[in-house]
Amino acid sequence: MTAVPSVTDTGGLFELPAELAIDTDIARRVIGQFIRGQLRQAGFDKAVLGLSGGIDSALVAYLTAEAIGAGKLLCVMMPYRASSPASRADAEEVVRRLGSASEVVDISPTVDAFFADDPDATPLRRGNFMARQRMAVLYDRSVTWGGLVVGTGNKTESLIGYTTLFGDSACAFNPIGDLYKSQVRQIAAAMGVPEQIITKAPSADLWPGQTDESEAGFSYPVLDRLLFWRIDKRRSIDELVEMGFDGALVERVDRMVATSEFKRQVPPIAKLGPRTAGVDYLYPRRRPGSARG
Amino acid sequence: MTQLRIALAQIAPQLGMFDENLALHHELISEARAKGAGLVVFPELGLTGYLLQDLASEVAIRLDDPRLATLAAETDGLSVVVSFVEESGDHRLFIAAALLEDGRIRHVHRKLFLPTYGLFDERRFFAAGDLLRATPSRLGVGLGLAVCEDFWHVSVPQLLALDGAQMLINVSSSPGRDLAATNEVGLGTATSWRTIMRTYAQLTTSFVVFCNRVGIDESISFWGGSEVIAPTGEPLFSAPFFEEGLFTVDVSLADVRRERVALPLLRDERPELAVREMARIVAERAGLHPDTTAEDGADPGLDVAPGDPIERPIGFQPGARR
Repeated sequence: MTAVPSVTDTGGLFELPAELAIDTDIARRVIGQFIRGQLRQAGFDKAVLGLSGGIDSALVAYLTAEAIGAGKLLCVMMPYRASSPASRADAEEVVRRLGSASEVVDISPTVDAFFADDPDATPLRRGNFMARQRMAVLYDRSVTWGGLVVGTGNKTESLIGYTTLFGDSACAFNPIGDLYKSQVRQIAAAMGVPEQIITKAPSADLWPGQTDESEAGFSYPVLDRLLFWRIDKRRSIDELVEMGFDGALVERVDRMVATSEFKRQVPPIAKLGPRTAGVDYLYPRRRPGSARG
Repeated sequence: MTQLRIALAQIAPQLGMFDENLALHHELISEARAKGAGLVVFPELGLTGYLLQDLASEVAIRLDDPRLATLAAETDGLSVVVSFVEESGDHRLFIAAALLEDGRIRHVHRKLFLPTYGLFDERRFFAAGDLLRATPSRLGVGLGLAVCEDFWHVSVPQLLALDGAQMLINVSSSPGRDLAATNEVGLGTATSWRTIMRTYAQLTTSFVVFCNRVGIDESISFWGGSEVIAPTGEPLFSAPFFEEGLFTVDVSLADVRRERVALPLLRDERPELAVREMARIVAERAGLHPDTTAEDGADPGLDVAPGDPIERPIGFQPGARR
């Protein structure tokens, strides 16, 4: 049985389970190389991302600025009228510290127009629509700014499916998609992301007072540890229970991971011809001739 | 020649762009020669990039390809190891490493072990080599070429050393992964590679030369960290992680003799014992010999006994029981 590990000291900023602690210098080098490589291979040198004021997009902004220079980064803030003003202020603080280009696009008019005749639309539908509206804005700005859209989703939310398909998960590449929330916090702290962004409760900011952890019913450190041992370290449910995890929680998370599998994969194509993309036509996304001219 | 300057070309090949990578090879061979190197080593698939998938057949070359000949032509008084996709006469595709010396191809090693697990999918696109031979060299010591995963099978360094290699050269495209802070050098892949390379150098009392690429192909980042390790197991040089560069390392080839006299492990190897026991294990796995470690009641070649023989499918012919 694996001993329950202690918590790594993070100066009280946040809780970092010891087994999730990574070498942040190496992570930054790998990610920097990844960002530069993705852009170069596609024939781009600029990037655009949606900056919410939360830690994920703030960290990706820092990483992208470190990789290619803040002058090549456009941060787009896309508040809805119910979005928290504090989030907006935090996003602006990131832009101010980095010195990147930025733009504010209010998505309220489009979202409200769409739901004008549908007042009973659920918060879930509205939230998904907003996420896809932001995606549409980013892909439009990808053209006007001349940069690729950088993804800002982390591994934890991707694994439990806490994302909107073709919404916040849509991107040209994702530098932090293999980092758990705790590891996002660790790198953010190492890079000097403003403290209030690291310490505030993560939220999709779809309605006032919403937080990820209250909505999902578990804390990120626990969830991250659970996912790490279950998926990365291939532990069985019984082994996790032996380690001290709550069996009902493990089973619930298992179901969330399984039911969201479709969100993490390219949609299947019905196999009919001799060669089918993703099945037996297998090319690198970036290969000779694939960069824009 | 007892003093040798080794140049490690820790490059970032461009995926599928043979001509650009070829030009880089030419450039670095000249640079290494100008720096006084006697041996220049390029990484696995340095001429093509690693994550080729269906591009493999499009960048494959035969050993008589004129582009390879242009590289060989640069090796007057020089030893150079390059790697590419080799197409055989019967159109199998191999991941190959070639030793070029004095204007010709001196030796070709086809990758023996193709990782097809985890993030690797090599067996889908490539054929595995069937030959493992040490090769003599103009350097005056036997060389043993291996490609990346070949070094994750302990028989490879041992066979090369027994066959006369005094310097084991591994060319790699090793993707870096596992950033757990508990890793000695911050990268799990590097930690395990370093452990096995020091062990092989010590156990075979040979130099180990490791050239690993950098750069990215799609999702994966190659970590570099190329190394030269003395026959004592002591690392003589470790290149930085993730940085391109042509790194030179001076070694004294006389260290092999010194170490092998002081620590005669190779003298004491028992190849005949290994062959005997290997032959037995192969025969047991094939069901040609009783398996000493199988459960009672297991059929020949199977190490687990069926729970209830009556439940066997119709047509199943039980074999002889022990």
